[in-house]
Amino acid sequence: MERRDFVKIAGATVFGAGLPFAGITAQDRYAKYRGQTIVINYPAHPHYDQAEKLFAEFTAETGIRIERDKLQYLRMKDRQVLEMGKPGGGDYDVISYVVMWKTEYVAKKLIEPMEPFFANAALADPAWDQRDIITGYWENITLVGGPMGYLPGPGAKPYGVPFGAETSVLGYRADLLQKHNLKPPATYDELLSACRLLKDKEGIGGLTSRGQTGHQVTAAWLMHLAPYGGLVYDSKWRAAFARPEGVRAAEVLREIVEMGPAGIPAYGFGEMQNAFLQGQSAFYLDTLAIFGPAQDPAKSKIAGKIGYAPHPMAARKAGMTGGFGLAIPRNSKNKEAAFLFIQWITSKQSDKKIALSGGNANRWSTVNDADLARKYPIETPVLREALKIADPNWRPLIPEWDHVSQQIIGQALPSIITGKSSAKSALEGVIGPAEDVVRKAGLLT
Amino acid sequence: MTAVAGKKSGSAPSVASTRRSMDWMALLRYALLLMFSALCLLPILILALTALKTEAQIFDTKWSWFFAPTMANFTAVVEEGNIVRNLNNSVIVSIAATVLTLVFGTLAAYGLARFDFIGRRSFGYATLLLRTIPPAVLAVPVFVIWAGWHINDTLFGVTLIYVALNLPFTIWLLYGFIEQLPEELEEAAAIDGCGPFGVFWRVVLPLLAPGMAAAAIFTFRLAWNEFILSFILTNRYTRTLPASISNYITDTGVEWGKISAAGVLIALPPLIFTFVAAKRIIAGLTAGAVKG
Amino acid sequence: MSSRVASHVPYVYIAPAALITLAGLLYPIVEATKLSFFDWGMGTPWESARFVGFEAFASVLSNPHVWTSVGITMAFVLISICVEMTLGIGLALLLEKPVRGMRIFRTIFVLPMMVAPICVGLVWRYIFDAQFGPLNHFLTSIGLAPQLWLADPLLAFLAIVVTDVWQWTAFVFIMVLAALQGVDASVTEASRIDGANTWQQIWLVKLPIIKPILIVTLLMRMIDGFRGLEVVYVMTFGGPGLSTELLSLHIYKAAFVSQQLGQASVLSILLLAIMTVLSLAILRTGNPLAARRK
Repeated sequence: MERRDFVKIAGATVFGAGLPFAGITAQDRYAKYRGQTIVINYPAHPHYDQAEKLFAEFTAETGIRIERDKLQYLRMKDRQVLEMGKPGGGDYDVISYVVMWKTEYVAKKLIEPMEPFFANAALADPAWDQRDIITGYWENITLVGGPMGYLPGPGAKPYGVPFGAETSVLGYRADLLQKHNLKPPATYDELLSACRLLKDKEGIGGLTSRGQTGHQVTAAWLMHLAPYGGLVYDSKWRAAFARPEGVRAAEVLREIVEMGPAGIPAYGFGEMQNAFLQGQSAFYLDTLAIFGPAQDPAKSKIAGKIGYAPHPMAARKAGMTGGFGLAIPRNSKNKEAAFLFIQWITSKQSDKKIALSGGNANRWSTVNDADLARKYPIETPVLREALKIADPNWRPLIPEWDHVSQQIIGQALPSIITGKSSAKSALEGVIGPAEDVVRKAGLLT
Repeated sequence: MTAVAGKKSGSAPSVASTRRSMDWMALLRYALLLMFSALCLLPILILALTALKTEAQIFDTKWSWFFAPTMANFTAVVEEGNIVRNLNNSVIVSIAATVLTLVFGTLAAYGLARFDFIGRRSFGYATLLLRTIPPAVLAVPVFVIWAGWHINDTLFGVTLIYVALNLPFTIWLLYGFIEQLPEELEEAAAIDGCGPFGVFWRVVLPLLAPGMAAAAIFTFRLAWNEFILSFILTNRYTRTLPASISNYITDTGVEWGKISAAGVLIALPPLIFTFVAAKRIIAGLTAGAVKG
Repeated sequence: MSSRVASHVPYVYIAPAALITLAGLLYPIVEATKLSFFDWGMGTPWESARFVGFEAFASVLSNPHVWTSVGITMAFVLISICVEMTLGIGLALLLEKPVRGMRIFRTIFVLPMMVAPICVGLVWRYIFDAQFGPLNHFLTSIGLAPQLWLADPLLAFLAIVVTDVWQWTAFVFIMVLAALQGVDASVTEASRIDGANTWQQIWLVKLPIIKPILIVTLLMRMIDGFRGLEVVYVMTFGGPGLSTELLSLHIYKAAFVSQQLGQASVLSILLLAIMTVLSLAILRTGNPLAARRK
């Protein structure tokens, strides 16, 4: 080595280590993987529609090409399980998983823990900043191995990165509230009385809600369970949903259905959202995915008349948590490139771009960003408050939850909301099956 | 001849009243036919119209016949993702399945109809019974078996199950047609020195053309339209058109404009087939059931 | 003729078809039976599947949801068929006389059967949509109240029946029409001379003559009804509640939503058993293979 080279290298080492030559370091990071192709499996979902727009930029910047496998939500899981279970290597390098599947995927050893990647200096972006990710999202979507298997605490490790996560907000018709001199409800009592008043005086439904038998009606009930201080299972895995808090939440749901727009017992997500956007209900209480469509004149008749507030409180403040995260299958052949993609698409810059175009924000820096506040003046302040109360224990994130939500609780709630049985008796009636499920899973002893 | 309702036989109606009542009946017939036709066509028309509407027009709670059409949905569907790949897959699978089913089915039907052999009855019964297997029953085991044979996610795998599904009906259909062919023709050809296969090839096949056409149409229809097995047995490379349509059913609702556009694309070939070959289709439906 | 060919020749003819049928239809049935004795979750390796003997059968057969599904399927098939047969036969009787332009009409009638079931389910889901479907729009325009079609258990069931009737009535019509046109005119003429009025001619002469075709049509529709899956999949996915949960959809959900392959296999066997009974019924009424050969 000539002396000139030595100086060059030494200089680069000294200065390169300390100075923010982010560009150079970034190129080094991606250099090894230039030309590789990664396959991403993700759902047909508005947030990912926005994310797709950045794929070309990622390839331009890093040289890593992307092959997409967009799937209908219903088929994602079994396709993912099939691919990730293939012994020699599967098709997918990045998967978008629903939070409910996280414990199952980890238990079946299908996805990689994330910490080794973030600890790898050759791959990790020092500017990524894990603490900037919304706390509720991080704890809810990524942590496995802690208390009850899915909560933050001792033993919990991240197995993914939130992307397309969401919490709940209260949407209201600002014009109607103003007309009747109501302030935006901060508690459930205020919300329910406002619903009653507006239903009488304006003749439109109070609060729109999901209600379809199965997953949908369970989700609707869960919205109110946490604020009323209830749980589905207690920390010992005994069924807790028939205790007073759970019963109260079901009764509140019944009231909401009575005062809501007609047809709630069949509403899925789309119908529920539409009822609000077409002006058939005064309030909306569900995922913040409403932000985009609400201002879209193609979908919404009430654009410009909407206000938002955080999820009302009853016994406590608790917002929904849910949504998607990105993970790396254990049998992927391009794990490093996959990680680089995940890191890039969840970086501060990407998150801001996605949020500005209407996708879900993932980071505190994004929701505190001035540009975002400028573009979405009504939504952003509420978003900040809502994210602070997002509750990671909003529902049990165990593999059996799908079955419990669809076939057990989801079959008990319909008769409650239509008034055919009392909340207490209907919920008590399914304690047996619900506990059988967790007993069979080895959780309840 | 259908007697006019209410008229007693034997009494000779006057010419004038017969013509009047016959006109009345003819009018009624035409009215019925028109009404029924309109009902048949209406949903298909609605599909096409929806494909031409913008999102705003679709979400408008007042559904309308008249609107400014747009090709945006079709453009979006064609440009998006893998439509070309999916279309190719559909074409390949449909044609392959049709050809294979025809070849194997015709051979088997001839063998069944013209030869007596051990196992003939069992094969015949099996054909009749297996015609009725629901795809849902096949879904789980085929999913497992195909994975075991490593032909899941392949076009061959999908084609194979389509051929299997269509063979019973094709064999049964062609059996009926072969049955009606006079054996003398074949015997004459045999006397002339044709081997058994020559008889089949030169004498029987040409006469079977109508039956084969009908079988081809039905097989193509199933292979082209089929959704659930393709959904289960394909991945992003091998997905066929109907399976890919489900991508427009998102978590948050259905993208009606785009899914209608995709639906129109899927429905087009069978619709064209129908107009071109309605007679064959009807012949295929009624074959065997109606002994002429 | 059969005596003049080598004995291996027939087998050559049927070999490919037999092989494929074996691999694609019979082997899966065997496999489904085998799987029904196991508890196997989707995505886990086969080695981890537990042998449970008849436990899965017991749990499935004692599951009220399953019987609800069977009941719904039977109700769906029976009601759809009644409507289709009545309409189809009625139309065929009324339109028996050749009409000019019949060919065009028959072409149009065939269209619904040829459109992909998934597209059929799609467009009818749109039509029945409570918020922006054309049906409700039509109802309001003539002064009736819009209904929450796919929201109400009874109305949703009605909706899938309507969809099936739309698709398949023409099939019955075509079959019966072809049958009627094969009826010897002299028989009906003879009865007319004997004093039978139109109704009597229909009930006592024509329909009895075409009874075999009626039965075949009926059974074919029954079998197709039990097979139906794609339309319900996209229209209601079994909801609201279980009101449109056809058995074939129930199987799909057991396999791909609940991810229980063993349970799904048991359900498959159940459906297969029902279908076999129906197919044997077809065989009894008209086996084309029966009397042909020695």
